[in-house]
Amino acid sequence: MRRAVTFVVGLCLASASLAAPGGVKVAPPPPPYVGAYQPRGVDEIGLWKENDEDERVLATSPMVIRDEALNTYVKGVLCSAVGDDRCKSTRIYILRTPVFNANMSPNGTMRVFTGLLLRMHNEAELAEVLAHEFGHFELRHTLARFKAQRSATDLLSWAAVFAAMSNSYSARSNFDSLQLSVYGRLYRFNRDEERQADVFGIGFLNASKLRPQAAANVWRNSMAEATASASARGLPRPKFDQIAFFATHPPDAEREMTLSALALPEGRTREDGTDRYQRAMATWLPLFLDDQIKLNDFGGSDFLINALAEGGWTASLWLARGDLYRARGNPRDLVNAAEFYTNAVGLNPGLAEAHRGLGLSLLKTGRQSDGQAELARYLQLKPDASDAAMIRMLAPSNGNDR
Amino acid sequence: MKFYRIVVAASLAVMVTCPAHGQERTAVKAGFELPPNSGKTILVFRPTVRVGAQSTGGMFEPNGDWTDEARKYIEIALAARQNGLGNRVVMAPEVYGADAQLVAEYSALFAAVSQSVINYQFFVGNRLPTKKRDNKANIFDWSLGSGVSALPGAKDADYALFIYNKDAYGSTGRKLLQIVALLGPGIAIKSGEHAGYAALVDLKTGDVLWLNADASMGGDVRTADGAIKRVGQLLEDFPGSARPKVAPTQP
Repeated sequence: MRRAVTFVVGLCLASASLAAPGGVKVAPPPPPYVGAYQPRGVDEIGLWKENDEDERVLATSPMVIRDEALNTYVKGVLCSAVGDDRCKSTRIYILRTPVFNANMSPNGTMRVFTGLLLRMHNEAELAEVLAHEFGHFELRHTLARFKAQRSATDLLSWAAVFAAMSNSYSARSNFDSLQLSVYGRLYRFNRDEERQADVFGIGFLNASKLRPQAAANVWRNSMAEATASASARGLPRPKFDQIAFFATHPPDAEREMTLSALALPEGRTREDGTDRYQRAMATWLPLFLDDQIKLNDFGGSDFLINALAEGGWTASLWLARGDLYRARGNPRDLVNAAEFYTNAVGLNPGLAEAHRGLGLSLLKTGRQSDGQAELARYLQLKPDASDAAMIRMLAPSNGNDR
Repeated sequence: MKFYRIVVAASLAVMVTCPAHGQERTAVKAGFELPPNSGKTILVFRPTVRVGAQSTGGMFEPNGDWTDEARKYIEIALAARQNGLGNRVVMAPEVYGADAQLVAEYSALFAAVSQSVINYQFFVGNRLPTKKRDNKANIFDWSLGSGVSALPGAKDADYALFIYNKDAYGSTGRKLLQIVALLGPGIAIKSGEHAGYAALVDLKTGDVLWLNADASMGGDVRTADGAIKRVGQLLEDFPGSARPKVAPTQP
């Protein structure tokens, strides 16, 4: 019994070490398209069926942003990366969720979170992430993962029963080691799928009209954001080159290095699509930023706002920064917030929310009459605001108080 | 999330089965009666049906074929049973756009409310103190709000029926594990999961009139006969049911 368990442990460890990532060359172009895929076998058909039910719910979810222009644009970016043929088998749902992520189900449902759109700087970066997700779909990773989880839990169940049968210290300890190696292997399996999807995704980008070097940028920015977030909390810099036991993805530093090596060097001169991306996101940025600010991640949010402002500050960026500082709400933050709102108002005197934020910040820093004047201006610009009654109580001088 | 699933699946492997009683519970809103042959129209929203197998480690393995069969048989059995009670069953119309979003929101609300009933009022273990008192006083008072009257198809119906059904049939591996675990170390492992609940909602007020939850049902939903038995258990003690319970109804 004991020998059997040790054997299985050894087997698992051996196969785990086999799965190490190979040497990095330029990513190969995607294989030729073989037509729309249909599920095969009980497991896959079952998974697709569940996904179909999930998609019915998703399609009617209040979290989905249904704006036609935005949806057409994001779909267009995916199509420009993976090609029109492959693109036809996907449905994109943009979810209003301030999280840096996207995912794809086995049946071709792609979920794009608004947190992702906020963090991307150009079409090439967005295309890289979407093509990566598409890689999971085309390589049928969810099915493989499901099977891996099933084998792992099957093995552990039998081992648990056998360990309980012998009920000795060594059996228990062997079971514990087995459990660790099975879980370790499962998470490594997961990370290896992510590595495969990275290779596959950048293969698409290499073959597209977009600059594949942008892919590494995504992870460089992700690390910079995580560093800023940790530093504002007084935490040490996160370790980007270490793999945690339960990590589902390879570490950011590894992805950055691999992706820059995988990118086609001749693609360096291609366009990023920065202007098109900024135009498409312009009307949405205030909403995405507002959601981000409410996450209470001061360092991360400030980093994102500053990154967006690299091409020049706009009224809505100053407004977002003011909101961020006002939300933290220390007296020193309110002084800063008032300054940022003033900048916003300077660039766009008609921006009602900036007058509101400025008024509230001034009131809290003891500048009563200035603050009330700003609030009155807000009410003038937006008389039927949802908080008009409340603001009127704070600014009674405009004669509308009840 | 993924890790959680693995841990749950693994811990299921060594989980001791609960005693069979105390897994079934019905409640009716005080004062609600639906006499047989009252000719009411019941609007049935797309039932949630998930049918699959249970792997050796306890994971749910969805099976598309079984799910399709079960959905078909359950809908047939449902109409037959309600006709027997003298009620007319109408399947909720397939809707799009804003109407579909409204249905989705109410379906989600219903799922949350019925899960709350099941978690906090019905079964011993983690009842909320307030719901414990309700149990003693025989109170069953839950509502989705009168907004349900705006649901598509609600104008022409009296009640809405929501159904949730999940079946995981124990795989051969799971059954073997069950036997070995019982004969060897003497651990009882549960093979298969057959849980579901059904509820009747007033389409004017939104009040939950009747709710039946059953964590271990019989009847093989993959066959027509089995589905009839299953629907019988899902709709056990449905108001107006012909056979009254012999034992005094425990609230």
